[in-house]
Amino acid sequence: MPSWLKMIKELTIRPKVQQIRKPPEYSFDEDMNKTLSGQTVKEILSKSSDVVFREFFLQGKERIPCMLTAVDGLVDKNQLDFFVLKTLMVDLAGHPEMAQLTIANVVDKTLQSILPGLEFRKVSKMGEAINAILSGDAVIFFGESKEALVFGARGWANSGINEPVAESVIKGPHEGFTETLRINTSMLRRKIKHPSLRLISLKVGDLTNTDLVVAYMDKIASPDIVSEVLRRVSRIKMDGVLGNGYIEEMIEDFPYSPFPQIAYTERPDVLAGKLLEGKVGIILDGTPIVLVVPAILTQFLNVNEDYYQRAMTAILFRFVRYVGAMVAVLAPSVYIAVTTFHQEIIPTDLLMSISAGRQGVPFPALLEALIMTVVLEILQEAGLRLPKPIGQTIGIVGALIMGDAAVKASLVSPLMVIVIGITAVASYAIPYYDLSLAVRLTRFPLMILAGVLGFFGVSVGLYAGLIHLLSLRSFGVPYTSPFAPLRIRALLQDTLVRAPWWAMKRRPQLLDVDEPKSGGKGKG
Amino acid sequence: MVERISPHQFMILGSAVLMGTTFLPIASMVTGVSGRDGWMTVLPGFVVAIPYGLMVLSLLSRYPSKNLLQISEIIFGKWIAKIIGLIYILITGYFGGLLLAQAGDIYERSVMPLTPIGVFYLGGLLLVFYLVNSGIEVFARFSEVIFPGIVIALILNMGLSIPRVEQGELLPILSEGLGPLFGGGVKVAPFAMEYILFIGGLLTFLPTSRKELGQLKTGVWRAVFLVGILNMLVVLMQILIFGPTETIRLTYGLLVLGKMVEISRTVAGVESLFLGVWLGSLVIKISAFFFTVTWGLETVFNLKGLKWNLAISIVFMAIAFGFVRGASLFAEIGFVDNYLILPFTSVWIITLWGVSRWKKGAGVQ
Repeated sequence: MPSWLKMIKELTIRPKVQQIRKPPEYSFDEDMNKTLSGQTVKEILSKSSDVVFREFFLQGKERIPCMLTAVDGLVDKNQLDFFVLKTLMVDLAGHPEMAQLTIANVVDKTLQSILPGLEFRKVSKMGEAINAILSGDAVIFFGESKEALVFGARGWANSGINEPVAESVIKGPHEGFTETLRINTSMLRRKIKHPSLRLISLKVGDLTNTDLVVAYMDKIASPDIVSEVLRRVSRIKMDGVLGNGYIEEMIEDFPYSPFPQIAYTERPDVLAGKLLEGKVGIILDGTPIVLVVPAILTQFLNVNEDYYQRAMTAILFRFVRYVGAMVAVLAPSVYIAVTTFHQEIIPTDLLMSISAGRQGVPFPALLEALIMTVVLEILQEAGLRLPKPIGQTIGIVGALIMGDAAVKASLVSPLMVIVIGITAVASYAIPYYDLSLAVRLTRFPLMILAGVLGFFGVSVGLYAGLIHLLSLRSFGVPYTSPFAPLRIRALLQDTLVRAPWWAMKRRPQLLDVDEPKSGGKGKG
Repeated sequence: MVERISPHQFMILGSAVLMGTTFLPIASMVTGVSGRDGWMTVLPGFVVAIPYGLMVLSLLSRYPSKNLLQISEIIFGKWIAKIIGLIYILITGYFGGLLLAQAGDIYERSVMPLTPIGVFYLGGLLLVFYLVNSGIEVFARFSEVIFPGIVIALILNMGLSIPRVEQGELLPILSEGLGPLFGGGVKVAPFAMEYILFIGGLLTFLPTSRKELGQLKTGVWRAVFLVGILNMLVVLMQILIFGPTETIRLTYGLLVLGKMVEISRTVAGVESLFLGVWLGSLVIKISAFFFTVTWGLETVFNLKGLKWNLAISIVFMAIAFGFVRGASLFAEIGFVDNYLILPFTSVWIITLWGVSRWKKGAGVQ
């Protein structure tokens, strides 16, 4: 195969086992398999300035050299000082238990009768010890002993529990996930106090060793989906996993589709709700965003507020969001098609007004709309990346001053400004940013088709988009469920409308759940 | 992975294929034969599909996961089955190409006369190609989304035309006797046979448990009555609004009806919006015949894959370009319907079913 073809293949076709970049030539693997020794650990880690080695002696039957190793900044130093060093060196010095210590029994004796605390465990492999140190635990090595003690004293600074900006609610819990995995799992556990909640721990990233937890409800989630999630996650082979985006692209079904196939949330209540529906959560350390699979299209138009508001209100706002999404996709292309090819649809008075507005505009409607949409995209992108106060200024300058000046200079017609404005506002009605981006992307080909072929072009574009959506699956579940394949109960229970809680007696049909009758979601 | 569609999807897909674009020319066709009583012939004409559909499904229950061509091979032997398969491919392929031509013809004549007709062929064919390559499950889902839209658009089109109805156009009822009604029914029957040709190939994707077979049979009934009643209403409305003479003259009367729609004296000329929906029904019908050709090629010659789908697309395009204008195209579609699809399907299915029953009765495998 020619090298250029090989390169194109590498860049376009996702391999089944995803080896992203080869690891560096030096590997810990050899050291990991060596017999546990404090000295070797020191040799391996001593080049890192953040790793501290505190050496001391225990006076038992014999004098035992000890070394406490931890990463500065990841451990709670107060806990180490108080529970380990002070206990061993001061409080229990000369204690009868201490007097019996030898190099052969020091680990077991210390674990069983000397050190208090829940988070102590014994390790005997080099890899386990090093991973524990680098993950934020402290490890105590005892002379030439082939075993060591791990003390779970993780205590790094974190951002604290705040309400997520992107998923704020008026009527509902005001807490969001943090960057710390264990805090996130504890928040989830506080929501679902049932043994069915399963949290399976994995590590991803050859060099980052990032902790990941797959969360699901046993007997509710489909075993096929759970095993598929575990299979896909465990076959990820890459140097580092630094955020949920890495995982998302590696496990989604159709990487070249602009439409999101994996949902996400920053809220424990939303994750708990999804798990109770039979979905699977992927919680990654270092990010407050939790992935939820499988995902369907309509899910991206629903918000958690729907479940806290009264059913009738929720139905109205869902309807508004659906209309908003349609407007965001279609408004510019319909305007172009109508003004360019199908003027007969427009009432005469309005047609005269449009015609007057377009007097002196040198561009055809297609070009006018394209320019305006591109400018809008630039404004949005600029506003997003800048600090908040400057971002707002950009919005005001862009939308008000430049828009007004462009109309006065007859570069664009006033109606076009209105259409693009409505489109922008409508696209903000889409609650999920990923779907909003996909909508923004699909708008351009539709506009071009409308400018070239009128409603025929728009129809062709829409049907092509529809076929694409219909062919998507998320972990085996058709993306367009419950519309196609049609599931009337799901459609009327929690898709087009949000039924009152007392009516949600069954779990969604979208997923192959083991326990269709809901004792959890509705009153049952 | 083996593709499968549910009984509900079978019903909707069947309805969408049976409906196709029958609502566009049907009024002109049946009124031409049966006069102002033409609307009465529509439902009986469609009902022909029920016994044939039930015969096909009874063959499915005896030969699970086999299409009619494969069943023909079991019953008639290899060479007769190959000849039947060849006719099946030729008829459905030719008809699919003609339907593509019809799509271009409708758009060119109705809303965009200045756009080259090839653009409409290409647009339609691209959608069909994409849909067929996505598989039968996606096709079934596509129908599930589009068919309700077609029904709603039809009802809206008719409902918004009610102010133009003149009740006198329908009278006197049965003024020319019962004879012409039979002719009208015969004109509609080929539509039913197009549907039978499609489900004959679709059998391999259908479930075969006892319960689901029952649901499939119900699906045939429902599809036929739904489409029959809707088409009957379409004909009735056109006769009521245009009168019999004008209905015969207007080849695509419903498009004209769409042009006449006016909402609150504000929005008018919405036929281009309706045409967006009709494009969906055209895509479904052409895709159905594209599928039948692919199934035929695969069963008879073991030819399948992307390159054969491309070849079929080229053939469709070539056929479409062969019939550019309305009158000759309309006549050719009528010819294929009346003299190829109707006799071939009716004889093939009855013989196949009859011989299968006889063999079963005689204990012959």
